[in-house]
Amino acid sequence: SRTGRSEEPLLLAELKPGRPHQFDWKSSCETWSVAFSPDGSWFAWSQGHCIVKLIPWPLEEQFIPKGFEAKSRSSKNDTKGRGSPKEKTLDCGQIVWGLAFSPWPSPPSRKLWARHHPQVPDISCLILATGLNDGQIKIWEVQTGLLLLNLSGHQDVVRDLSFTPSGSLILVSASRDKTLRIWDLNKHGKQIQVLSGHLQWVYCCSISPDCSMLCSAAGEKSVFLWSMRSYTLIRKLEGHQSSVVSCDFSPDSALLVTASYDTNVIMWDPYTGERLRLLHHTQLDPPMDDSDVHISSLRSVCFSPEGLYLATVADDRLLRIWALELKTPIAFAPMTNGLCCTFFPHGGVIATGTRDGHVQFWTAPRVLSSLKHLCRKALRSFLTTYQVLALPIPKKMKEFLTYRTF
Amino acid sequence: IDGKSSGLGLCGSATMYIKLVSSDGHEFIVKREHALTLGTRKAMLSGPGQLAENKTNEGEIPSCVLSKACTYFTYKFCYTNSSTVIPEFPIAPETALELLMTTTFLDR
Repeated sequence: SRTGRSEEPLLLAELKPGRPHQFDWKSSCETWSVAFSPDGSWFAWSQGHCIVKLIPWPLEEQFIPKGFEAKSRSSKNDTKGRGSPKEKTLDCGQIVWGLAFSPWPSPPSRKLWARHHPQVPDISCLILATGLNDGQIKIWEVQTGLLLLNLSGHQDVVRDLSFTPSGSLILVSASRDKTLRIWDLNKHGKQIQVLSGHLQWVYCCSISPDCSMLCSAAGEKSVFLWSMRSYTLIRKLEGHQSSVVSCDFSPDSALLVTASYDTNVIMWDPYTGERLRLLHHTQLDPPMDDSDVHISSLRSVCFSPEGLYLATVADDRLLRIWALELKTPIAFAPMTNGLCCTFFPHGGVIATGTRDGHVQFWTAPRVLSSLKHLCRKALRSFLTTYQVLALPIPKKMKEFLTYRTF
Repeated sequence: IDGKSSGLGLCGSATMYIKLVSSDGHEFIVKREHALTLGTRKAMLSGPGQLAENKTNEGEIPSCVLSKACTYFTYKFCYTNSSTVIPEFPIAPETALELLMTTTFLDR
């Protein structure tokens, strides 16, 4: 049982980009991606105009108004600059579409890294990958803002990136060139595999927390599941009626959610391919005419860190919070032109990015997981659906463990 | 504690503890109030005086599992009415299945 209160997300703070030094009409100002580092110590956002901002987390007090009552006043870069020595500005030279932090590298990766990159003294470094407009991927060291590597291979926009959660420094990229690529950062960013099969732009990729599966979704309405061990296709998930633009695994790898322009989020069992839930995003006001038909197109979906909530961003100007077992959202917050969202890894905050280059931080429901859910999460972190079904336990417990019931 | 097995009644005694005994004989003394957060089951809520007639239920649960359940009682009580960040509650994979069965049992 959870706290039970359905609190509306409150806006904690908003960050706006300052005017760029060279105002360039050709570069767009959208915040296509936002990300927290897995340890919660950094936040990154592609604030448009080819710039990525890296800021330490938690935010400095000047950005959080006392009592969380109102939005912070407009904070231009110049006023921020003086108070934040650790803040980093990465000039990527072209529009930034995708962002991903690595976790702290695990020990074998650290050794490999040191061998191949002797000039980088700190072998335990946090890395940020940025996916660019022309297909390049730039790899940066977070602490120093230093450009480490340039990965070439993709022929078009790199829309999304995902590091393996284990810290092995394997990176997956998803591109409008219809491929996904696997890169090994321990070996100078060597491209180790190209995953072909999608017929249109690949919008997103996500690696399951147990590192066994990769999900990718594309314009042709299909969702693909790949094995991260053999880099081969496991299955295709059909069900969406339009482009699928966002995907995320639950923290125990037992559930996969995908979001589409068709106004739906589908929750799947990634092991069996079964559809478990359909979260329909209805407009609060009925449409006047056909022009409003796509107004609830989804842009982004993400799981909360304890695995009991989802946040979605849609074109109907709402951030929605969903509790897994329910069919309607538990809370809404107004947000215009939202493009992306992500939870802070330790819970409590949701970050969103918008078309005008702003990011917002919202309060997320405070969750105290039931003991049953904690047990389920612990078990599903290493058991597949089929392994659960093979256990000598009552049917009701299997249904609970496989998320058929909540 | 007035000795009545009235389930939910908080009898106004200063020390309202119940004793849970595991299958391997470990005794866990927890505040009745904390155990209540998990769900109510008359058998579990008996005071020390009632223990004998309700032993069969607790007797099936090994101490490693029961201790984790008790730790959860405290965790839940501690963080439910505070505004601090709720820390993770880790559960070892080898304990998880039995703990789940115990919880399901306790909760119904």
